Amino acid sequence: MKEKETPLVEVKNLKKSFEVKKGFLGRSQPLNAVDGISFAIRKGETFSLVGESGCGKSTTGRLVTRLLAPNEGEVWFDGRNISRLSDNQMRPVRKNMQMVFQDPYASLNPRMKVKDLVAEPVLIHTRLSAKERDKLACELLETVGLNSRHAERFPHEFSGGQRQRIGIARALSVRPSLIVADEPVSALDVSIQSQVLNLLQDLQENYGLTYLFISHDLSVVEHISDRIGVMYLGTLVETAGKETLYERPLHPYTQALLSSVPVPDPTVKRERIILKGDLPSPVNPPTGCRFHTRCPSCMEICKRRAPIFREVEPGREVACHLYDEEMMKLERK
Amino acid sequence: MTQHLLEVEGLKTEFKRGGGSVTAVAGVDFHIRKGEVLGLVGESGCGKSVTSLSIMRLLKDTPGKITGGSVRFEGTDLTKLSEKDMRRARGNDLAMIFQEPMTSLNPVLRIGLQLTEPIMLHLGYGRKKAREHAIHMLKLVGIPRAEEVIDEYPHQLSGGMRQRVMIAMAMSCNPKLLIADEPTTALDVTIQAQILDLMKRLKEEQEMGMLLITHDLGVVAEMCDRVVVMYAGRVVEEAPVQELFSNPKHPYTKGLIQSVPKLRQKVRRLESIKGNVPDLSQMPPGCKFAARCPFAMEKCVASEPELIPLAGASERKSRCWLTQDEAVEGGDRA
Repeated sequence: MKEKETPLVEVKNLKKSFEVKKGFLGRSQPLNAVDGISFAIRKGETFSLVGESGCGKSTTGRLVTRLLAPNEGEVWFDGRNISRLSDNQMRPVRKNMQMVFQDPYASLNPRMKVKDLVAEPVLIHTRLSAKERDKLACELLETVGLNSRHAERFPHEFSGGQRQRIGIARALSVRPSLIVADEPVSALDVSIQSQVLNLLQDLQENYGLTYLFISHDLSVVEHISDRIGVMYLGTLVETAGKETLYERPLHPYTQALLSSVPVPDPTVKRERIILKGDLPSPVNPPTGCRFHTRCPSCMEICKRRAPIFREVEPGREVACHLYDEEMMKLERK
Repeated sequence: MTQHLLEVEGLKTEFKRGGGSVTAVAGVDFHIRKGEVLGLVGESGCGKSVTSLSIMRLLKDTPGKITGGSVRFEGTDLTKLSEKDMRRARGNDLAMIFQEPMTSLNPVLRIGLQLTEPIMLHLGYGRKKAREHAIHMLKLVGIPRAEEVIDEYPHQLSGGMRQRVMIAMAMSCNPKLLIADEPTTALDVTIQAQILDLMKRLKEEQEMGMLLITHDLGVVAEMCDRVVVMYAGRVVEEAPVQELFSNPKHPYTKGLIQSVPKLRQKVRRLESIKGNVPDLSQMPPGCKFAARCPFAMEKCVASEPELIPLAGASERKSRCWLTQDEAVEGGDRA
């Protein structure tokens, strides 16, 4: 492999499980929310994780920012392994990684003024005076398209889109290099959603930000990303550059996912792959390939052996037996 | 005069708030034919859900009240019916599916009981026949092991399965009109695809009219025959689905369609509508969209345009000063 600059984030075989109780008096069982995933995010790019509910994309975001500690595997940030750091050691690292959350109603303390909300990370991470913090808060509010007049107000006085801007200003306040945005536009109406997406793109350009963008909306993800990882039941099934992934999805799950998105154009009539059945329970995932119970091209081997997540083309990884065989055929030639 | 399945005229619904009241639905007109899917589109707070609740007369436990207009279903004005007659109409003729199936199913009752109750009530079946019919309905909506599921509780099912149960329940008495309020919004895309597919199939088999309320233009394009766009409690545009997307007339509709990121579209920046939806209690006097409209003129701020049928197109209406000269009558500027 060619040596390039070190990626800003590198995740190696990351695993996280939670203990869940089954039934009222039942014994607890492990739920493998994230089960051995690896990816890297280059400086200045937007890497997105997509998948349906319960696929582990949010847990991954929390593991990267170390809001959760992994059971196994490593998270490297800016050339440093942060997966085993203590809370104290983690604090200065967090200055460089901030999060934007989905629900702009739940993620802002309703009793704090907007200026204090925006400058709270600065209070924690720097030694700026109160006056300097207020000034910074006002500047940040202008940066995200609000007004410095808004600084003295409380969150309830703002609409969802405006609150999301406040959340973004807050994340920006300590000048992080990485922003992990977990479904940042899912709670917003479409006309507001596009405002916030445009803002995120402008900020990335102006401040050289790197984004880990987590979303279930494939149209939004295509719009904002450079590279994309598709998750299913705690594993990555495919990663690829945006163009290749949407042009030519390889994994049957990616194909089904893309074909399921309703297109806002009544003249388009598409061949839709309708997956049978529901998402299996992550407490008791299927043997072999986790997707085999719903996969339209399931083979015998899929039920027995989990496919290995491997590079099938430069910059493109897939976990699917279909491409093992193709590789084998190629080798035989 | 041809009679439509459902005809809503000048529907107005107000909510008491504090001392005064706010108008959530301010004079809405539309109609639905037999076997037709009408999409009702708009963003949060535009009054689309209140419109559906008003049609079903489900505002009893809210501070809301229908204060004007009529809702004629096969000629009968539902707003004038007694509570008893209305109860008969719901289930028999009209049925509704809500966004969140868990809040519409009773968590402590088995699926079977919840499904058979309306069947026994509306179709007059006995317990045994009702149960058979319920199992048949569950199979129809694609629930595997229907004979077992009928004796389970809602929490034992996944979100997609619950929504199927809701659909089975709504369809069990062969309603003539189904109102579906964001039926797939809470579901994942692969499950959404299953449910939309199912609804389309059932609609065709039963020749049912449908009012589909959604904010998702993708779902609209896929499911609807005609579309009504709402903004701030008013209808701003009505059009057949193809024409709405190929040639939207109202600036709000245009903005909405352009705001949505589309697969394979490859634009670097999205169009967006500046500003926010106006507060229901502080409505501007003129066109409600004027403050956000890129084409706003003085006239727009001063007075509100009417929803007017457009010439040269079937069933197209627009509430905008810019399209007034395309109107059927009074084309004096042409």
